[in-house]
Amino acid sequence: MGIFNRSTKGHVTPPIEVTLERGPLAFFSETIGESDPVYLDPEAAQAAGHPDILAPATYAVVVGTFADQIARRKGLPDILELINGDLRVLLHGTEAYTYHDPMFAGDVVTVENEVTDFTDAKGGKLEIAHITTRITHPMRGLLVEATRGIIHRLG
Amino acid sequence: MTVTPTNAKVGDPLPELTFGPISRTTLALYAGTSGDHNPIHIDLDFAKNAGMDDVFAHGMLSMAQLGRLATDWAGQDRMRALSTRFTAITPVGATLTCSGTVVDRHEEHGRVLLTVKLAAHIDDGTQTLRGEAKICGTP
Repeated sequence: MGIFNRSTKGHVTPPIEVTLERGPLAFFSETIGESDPVYLDPEAAQAAGHPDILAPATYAVVVGTFADQIARRKGLPDILELINGDLRVLLHGTEAYTYHDPMFAGDVVTVENEVTDFTDAKGGKLEIAHITTRITHPMRGLLVEATRGIIHRLG
Repeated sequence: MTVTPTNAKVGDPLPELTFGPISRTTLALYAGTSGDHNPIHIDLDFAKNAGMDDVFAHGMLSMAQLGRLATDWAGQDRMRALSTRFTAITPVGATLTCSGTVVDRHEEHGRVLLTVKLAAHIDDGTQTLRGEAKICGTP
């Protein structure tokens, strides 16, 4: 018996607006050890032809998490609550991004999650929730599509 | 000659990247900056109650290193895709060694797409992540 609420398959969360703030974005870049100034210094980013500092390759996960935080503040379930994720036995299995257009500090984007499927592995010892997150900009369209496999270790 | 996305051939390695040792401070900072507040990464009491010996690193902190490896080499504007499978837990104190190799160079309608195989290993040789980047190789 799994823990995930499998009746949420197909559910799409209401769109949440997230602002990519420059300070938090630079702090993330620093924390992951990024040293390329296009991720840290607005002047260097502008000199390289960008409107502001760039979001690193894995920043989509952070934007998704910020959307979760905003959802909770609105009294809505975040994605883990929606699918009944249990942090005590939860592991991150897979993560994948398709890049359509870069994200920059100052961007105001819309985040939407879709619960695409639930699967089982290792003879039922693992159950996997498959989530797709789409990050869209009002002018530039789809920026990043992220897919994620979240695992419960069972028994 | 330096290997770049425009001249890379199948079999060419990307420059390696190391990250660590990953301290508890790094995990606390990553939890804060990423918004991933899962206590399994930062709260020893929670981790022990969940049956773990210790906290362990966020998988996404390691994936960020594979991202850096790819963008250091190619730049963000050439990135088309990045994917990872988390194959083992990364313990506190581990140092990651990240590597990449060009495994495919494919030309279609005048555009070149490279596939780079990526991996992260910790000190004892355990592979913790494996993945792939799709990178534009068009001059």
